[in-house]
Amino acid sequence: MNEPAPAAPVIENLPGIIEALIFISQDPLTVDRMKSVLEGASAEDIQAAVDGLVAGAETRPGGVRIIQVGGGYVFATRPDNDRWVRRLLQIERKNRLSSAALESLCTIAYNPDITQAEISALRGVDSTGTLKTLLEKKLIRIVGRKKAPGNPLVYRTSDKFLQYFGLNSLEELPSEEEIARILQEDKTSEP
Amino acid sequence: MSAPETSEGYQVRLEIFEGPLDLLLFLIRKKKIDIHDIPIAAITRDYLEYLDRKGQINLDREAEFLFVAALLIYIKSQMLLPRERDLAEAEDPRRTLVNRLIEFQKVKAACSLLREREDDQLRQWKRNFLPPLPGEEDLDFTEVSLFDLAESFFVIMKRRAARDFKVIMGKDVSLEDKMKEIVAILETRGPLDFLEYFERQDSVEEALVAFFGLLELIKSRTVHAVQDGIFKTIRVQLRKDPRRTHPHE
Repeated sequence: MNEPAPAAPVIENLPGIIEALIFISQDPLTVDRMKSVLEGASAEDIQAAVDGLVAGAETRPGGVRIIQVGGGYVFATRPDNDRWVRRLLQIERKNRLSSAALESLCTIAYNPDITQAEISALRGVDSTGTLKTLLEKKLIRIVGRKKAPGNPLVYRTSDKFLQYFGLNSLEELPSEEEIARILQEDKTSEP
Repeated sequence: MSAPETSEGYQVRLEIFEGPLDLLLFLIRKKKIDIHDIPIAAITRDYLEYLDRKGQINLDREAEFLFVAALLIYIKSQMLLPRERDLAEAEDPRRTLVNRLIEFQKVKAACSLLREREDDQLRQWKRNFLPPLPGEEDLDFTEVSLFDLAESFFVIMKRRAARDFKVIMGKDVSLEDKMKEIVAILETRGPLDFLEYFERQDSVEEALVAFFGLLELIKSRTVHAVQDGIFKTIRVQLRKDPRRTHPHE
């Protein structure tokens, strides 16, 4: 088995194995990571198997499915089961982010490498406390210091941020056009 | 993008303006004003009216609301100054604020879209976002400060001193033993009532040693003291996170 033979698949039932790997991973499993585990399988084969799993779960009436999030794949319960899952976990209400937290996150997501002072200026309110909470929740991270007076810390959103919002990369953030549309709707719908 | 984004989701409350820009945008929309041509006098009047009512602004942010009020008045004063050239040609004193508002408006719009995504994702449970299972650590407790602890401790000691006071000779209690005792109690019997525990101590010395032991344990993050509300009993419990550091090892 020394020479790689891409034509002859060494691993049988690739989809099954990949499903098991995704099941075991708590964090989204990337194709790269799968590739490093599944020696001998090509990235294309893996991707095809993953796509098959995602599509298959979509048509199957099961309670869980594989979704792509944060650049990887993860098992998630279907939205319709939310009520029952929450009953099991005894969670009556969902813990959404506060509007201050969401606003700060948004500001950081659209302006990577931003400082606390810049965030506060954009929002018109001091954001120190909010940033602390977001750091604790690991939704943002400190990426360094700015070469400016006082060398302030600069922030970026984290991978967990992407996962939390079901995004794969910052490119999937609402686009200028989507935002413009929302603003337009607001103008027309307001009394 | 209207009321919902200022609420916490479950809390039913009137629209509260978290920040001054929120309020300004609201007023601009309400009056159907062109954001590029804001009648500063009228907006300032409305704005100040809201500040007076206080009920609808986040009071922690009052200073920031006032700052923008001052800014509005400053802009108005700038506009009243006689100019040699037309306003259109010269720098419009409103421009900086308008640019900020436009930027902020975009952030708010993006927020409303992300909020939808958040709601969508929150209905799809993933294993890495599982909250602690019910019955485990209660997150509603607030951690008690050293001062609260010390205060409660001295109250008990005073109470005890007023009652019988017996000195037991020859019983040496070491800090280490006490700490072990506290941890043992927590491990076998679960959370400990702070008041009750110190009431139980045989002597003032022992209580003192126990108290220092407790402080030591809190410092090493082995235990924490929590309270489910002001004036409620203080409970001591083991920390759940495994990253404990043992100070005496």
